[in-house]
Amino acid sequence: MPRKWWINLLLFSLPPVVGLISGILAHSFLPPEVPILFQADLGIAAFVFGGVVRQWSFFAFLLGFLITLILILLYLWDVRSVRQAKVMIVESLREMEQNRRNFLRRLDHEIKNPLTGLRAALVNMQETQAVDERQHAVEHAGRAVTRLSRLLADLRKLSDLGERPIEHVYVDVPGWLQDAVDAAHVLPAFEGREVSLLIPKVPSPFPSVTGDRDLLVLAVYNLIENALKFTCAEDSVEVRASEDGQFVVIEVADSGVGVPPEDLPKIFEELYRGSNARSTEGSGLGLALVKRIIALHNGQIHVRSSQAEPRGTVFTIRLPVTKRG
Amino acid sequence: MTPDRSTLLLADDDPTIADSLAPFLERAGFHVLVVSDGMSALEKAQAHHPELIILDVLMPRMDGREVLRRLRRSRVWTPTILLTQVGEASERALALEEGADDYLNKPFDPHELLARIRAVLRRARPGERSLSAAWLLSASDLSLDRRARRATLGGETLDLTPKALAVLEYLMTHPDEAISRERLLEAVWGWEYPAGTRTVDTRMAELRRVLDDDPAEPRFIETISGEGYRFIAHVEAEG
Repeated sequence: MPRKWWINLLLFSLPPVVGLISGILAHSFLPPEVPILFQADLGIAAFVFGGVVRQWSFFAFLLGFLITLILILLYLWDVRSVRQAKVMIVESLREMEQNRRNFLRRLDHEIKNPLTGLRAALVNMQETQAVDERQHAVEHAGRAVTRLSRLLADLRKLSDLGERPIEHVYVDVPGWLQDAVDAAHVLPAFEGREVSLLIPKVPSPFPSVTGDRDLLVLAVYNLIENALKFTCAEDSVEVRASEDGQFVVIEVADSGVGVPPEDLPKIFEELYRGSNARSTEGSGLGLALVKRIIALHNGQIHVRSSQAEPRGTVFTIRLPVTKRG
Repeated sequence: MTPDRSTLLLADDDPTIADSLAPFLERAGFHVLVVSDGMSALEKAQAHHPELIILDVLMPRMDGREVLRRLRRSRVWTPTILLTQVGEASERALALEEGADDYLNKPFDPHELLARIRAVLRRARPGERSLSAAWLLSASDLSLDRRARRATLGGETLDLTPKALAVLEYLMTHPDEAISRERLLEAVWGWEYPAGTRTVDTRMAELRRVLDDDPAEPRFIETISGEGYRFIAHVEAEG
C-alpha cells in the first residue's frame, strides 16, 4: 500500500531536519574551533542519502542520525583531548618560565658577587696611593675577572652542546678515565689528595663506548672536581668502571659529607647551589654540563648520597656498550 | 716593545671595548683608527688602506661579516681579525668562510689580540689574497679542499676525523707560525678542555700517522718543544 504523501514528506525531510538541529546544537555547545562545514555536511549527507534511496528513507534517517551522533561524540572526545593537551602545554610552559626565572635569578646572583668585588677593587685602585694596596686591588680585580670568565665559558659550553655536532668515535674506557684523573691533578683541590682509579682486568679489553672523547673526559673530570671540592683530605675519592655486557657503568664516589636530601633532586639544575655549596668556588654549571654530555651520548646519570653512616656520594653514569665491528 | 707604525682599523660598537683597546694598541706602537659601525668600517677601510682590520661581528648598520664579504668581493685583501661572539660555535667556521685571517673569541686578553695582530701582520703578503681566504690549499703533494672537507696526499684521500682535519686546516692557513696547543684548542675545539693539551697531542699523532710524517724528520708538522707546533712546508693557495 502506497504511503501517504505526508509520511513520505516527513521521512524525506527528517534527516536534513535532524542534521540541521544537530548542527545548531553542535554549534551552540561545541567550542568555536569545530569546523562549521561538519555541521552542514551532516544535513546534506543525510538529505542526499534519503533522496537517493527513497524507499529506505527511514534507514537513511537512522544512518544520518547515527553518523551525526558518532561524529559529535568523536568531536567531544577530540575537544577533550585538545583541552587536556592545552593544559599540559600551559603547565610545561609555566614550568619552563619558572626554570627560566630561576636561572636568571641564579645568574644574577653569580654575576653580582664578582662584579661587586671588581667595583670595590677599582675604587681601591683609584683611592689608594700605597703601591702594595694597589697591587692587592689589582689581584682582587683579576680574581673577579677570572671568576666571571669561568662562568661565561661554562655558559658557552652549555649552549654550544645543544647546537654543535658531537664526534662519534670508539672511546677506550680505561684511557678515557685515566685522562680525566690525570687532568684533575692540576686542580688546587687535588693537592695532597689521591683519586683511585679502579678498572676490572676482566673482560679484556674492557668494552668500549662511542662518543666524543673530549666531552666524556670533561664529564668525568667535572665529577672528580666536584668530589674533591666537597671532601676533605681524610676522605677517599674513587673512579670505578664496571660493565654488564649492555652498559658500561662509571662511578665517581666519595666519602664526603654527602648532599642534603632536599638538594639531591636539584643538583643537576643549571646554576643550582645546594645549601653546603654556597661558599665553594665554581660556576654552578659543572653538573648540568655532565648531565647534558651524558644525555648526548644516549646515557643516563644518577646520584645517590647519604649524610648518615655509611656516608658519601656516588654519581653513576651508564653508557651503552659499542660492539666493535 | 719595538715600535710598529702600522695603521690598524678597529671597528667595535661597544665604547668600553674600543676606548680601552685603542690606547692599549697605541701604546704597543700602532696607529689606531676607531669606528663604531660596519658602514664606517667599510668606508674607512677603503679610504685609509690600513695594514690590518679588527672587526667585531655584531655592529649596527652592517655586521662585521658583511663588511668582510664586501671588502673581499671588491678584492681588498687587507688582513682581518674577526672578533666573534661567545656561544656561537659555527661562527668560527663562518669567519674562515668569509676570509678572515684570524679570529678571537670575546672575552679575550688584550695581549692575546696583540700577539694575533703581530702574527697576522708577519704572515701578510700585501695586496695578495691570504691563505685564509682560499678554498684550496696545497703543500707539496698534500692538498686540502676546505669546502669539501677533504685532504689528499699524493692524490689519495686521507681518512681523518673532523677535528684532525680542522687542525690540519688551521696549521695550513697559518704556516711557518709557532702555534701553541692552547691556541689550537681555542681555534678548533672552541673551548677550554681539561687535559686539553693532551687532546691536541692525540689529534696531532693521528694527523702525523695519516700524513706519514715522522716527528723526528718532519715534512709537514714540526714540534716546537715547550711551545707547540709549526707547519713547515710551503703552502700555496689554489682556489
